[in-house]
Amino acid sequence: MLPTLLAVTEAAEESGIVHQFGLEPKYVIMQVISFLILFGVLLKFGIKPTIATMEVRNQKISDGLKHAEETQARLAAAAQESAAIIKSAQHEAQKAIDEARKSAKEFGDKQQAEAIQRSADMLAKAQQSIELEHKKMLNEARGEIARLVVKTTEQVLAKKLSDADRAAFNDAATKELSTL
Amino acid sequence: MAADKSTKLLAKQLFKLSLVNGVVSPEQVTGVLGWIEKHSPRRPVALLKVYHHRIALELAKSRAEVEHAGPVGDATLRQIEAAMSKRYARIITASAKPNPKLLAGLRVRVGSDIYESSVAGQLASLSV
Repeated sequence: MLPTLLAVTEAAEESGIVHQFGLEPKYVIMQVISFLILFGVLLKFGIKPTIATMEVRNQKISDGLKHAEETQARLAAAAQESAAIIKSAQHEAQKAIDEARKSAKEFGDKQQAEAIQRSADMLAKAQQSIELEHKKMLNEARGEIARLVVKTTEQVLAKKLSDADRAAFNDAATKELSTL
Repeated sequence: MAADKSTKLLAKQLFKLSLVNGVVSPEQVTGVLGWIEKHSPRRPVALLKVYHHRIALELAKSRAEVEHAGPVGDATLRQIEAAMSKRYARIITASAKPNPKLLAGLRVRVGSDIYESSVAGQLASLSV
């Protein structure tokens, strides 16, 4: 760059422009050198760190955006999964409720059937008991009537039987006992 | 006082000595009682109780108690004696005992066996 600048300066001196504008080549060169030094310092300690910082920030922003997208995707997946889980849970809950209703209905039916059976058994037992009681009462009445008849017959026979009748019966009894 | 085993065994032996041809003999019984009085075995009261029980049972086996309502002649008693002696294969003596509750008929008791043919018995069977 410097040779180019020197060449330009020499060309300007030769054309007389330098003298027309009051320029001093050495000052121009010093200015250029000063500028270059300042530019170098700025480049090294200002521009490059700034660019590096910006690149880092850009990278961070990019990573952040990427992370946000991934997070959003994961969030969507999680939402979808949670929806699926909720749907499955609702299905399971409905299934459990249906089974509970079915079990409750079966239990109720069973209890009702058992109650009906028990009442039928009780009714049958009661009927049997009534029949037995009726038979027992009839037997007792029959026995009592027979006892009264026998007692009456005994009283009548005790009065009506004569000694001759008893003797005849005794002879028949003797024959009966002799042939045992 | 309860009789022990040896007392029962002695009573049984004395009872066997009291029989003649399977019938209780008064002479033998008298002899047995004399022997007990003379020798006074152990537990004499218990021995006499057991002996008496056996003799009573044996006498009851050879005795027919005829309960009757109405007149019963000797011929009837002899006929019953013959029938029971034949039935039990030993000599059985019949004795009459009036029982008006029979109304008419007989009830014969030999030991623990009872034979009955009476109006009261037939009526009782009707009321059961």
